Amino acid sequence: MKWAIIRFPGSNCDEDARFALKKAGMEAEFVWHTERELKGFDGVFLPGGFSYGDYLRAGALAAKSPVMEAVRRFAQEGRYVIGVCNGFQVLTEAGILPGALLANLNLHFTCKEVGVRVERVDLPFTRLYRKGQVLRLPIAHAEGRYYADEDTLARLKGEGRVVFRYAPLKGEGDYNPNGSLNDIAGIVNEKGNVLGMMPHPERAVDEILGNTDGLPFFLGMVKEVAR
Amino acid sequence: MRRYQATLLIELKEGILDPQGRAVEGVLRDLGHPVESVRVGKVLEVVFQEENLLKAEEKAKVLGQTLANPVMETWTLEALKEVP
Repeated sequence: MKWAIIRFPGSNCDEDARFALKKAGMEAEFVWHTERELKGFDGVFLPGGFSYGDYLRAGALAAKSPVMEAVRRFAQEGRYVIGVCNGFQVLTEAGILPGALLANLNLHFTCKEVGVRVERVDLPFTRLYRKGQVLRLPIAHAEGRYYADEDTLARLKGEGRVVFRYAPLKGEGDYNPNGSLNDIAGIVNEKGNVLGMMPHPERAVDEILGNTDGLPFFLGMVKEVAR
Repeated sequence: MRRYQATLLIELKEGILDPQGRAVEGVLRDLGHPVESVRVGKVLEVVFQEENLLKAEEKAKVLGQTLANPVMETWTLEALKEVP
């Protein structure tokens, strides 16, 4: 499986994403945001970072990049698109995923490990986890408060499209790091091929960093292709 | 062609909590200004060329729709004027 990792001016988790995808045994290449075609790729990874310095709104200017029309078509064709952190913000700004990511309630840039509960295990990204399993994953963002209007939120919940929710790691009461509605940390589109999430699985794939909770996320996609 | 300046106001929708506004509000209160509430928005001044005022207004509307995110924001064309 070959991934296109889209690079915007200000992307900074692009190397981490490539490291994680390759560690799981997949191919990955960087694609500059001015490209208009995504030929020869099986998946698209929109990495974290601060595209365009988060100017206007986080992800807003990157969402207007030429490559995003190709990403939109790619998603419509049912191929895999993953947006992590700034990548998730870009996907919502582009309208490829519903909702928006607003400034964290406490206004802090929050960089720490949080508990993330896996709500669905029928997706390639989550099939190697147990339903209800609480992962320890890093977050690093200032605009991660998931927001959607009531109807959209009801649909997301009703259709089981909330894939990850913030959850207590050790029973702490205040576990939602940014004020996201319904503790939402990650969602998928209707078909289940487009995933957006604020936590960084690609930063938790190596023993040397003391956390490998993100590795099954990538290994699960390999298994998907082999099926 | 004439030059026009459009002033676009982009605000968070009513009902969406604005933590920036809350922070400003808190500081104003600490300074002895008992304000009721503060909301922080953005003002964009965009200068462009267009044939006439009518077309400039259409252009300004397109800009507002392009720059605001309707999920969480509203936009208003606050002013449109011809500039030298």
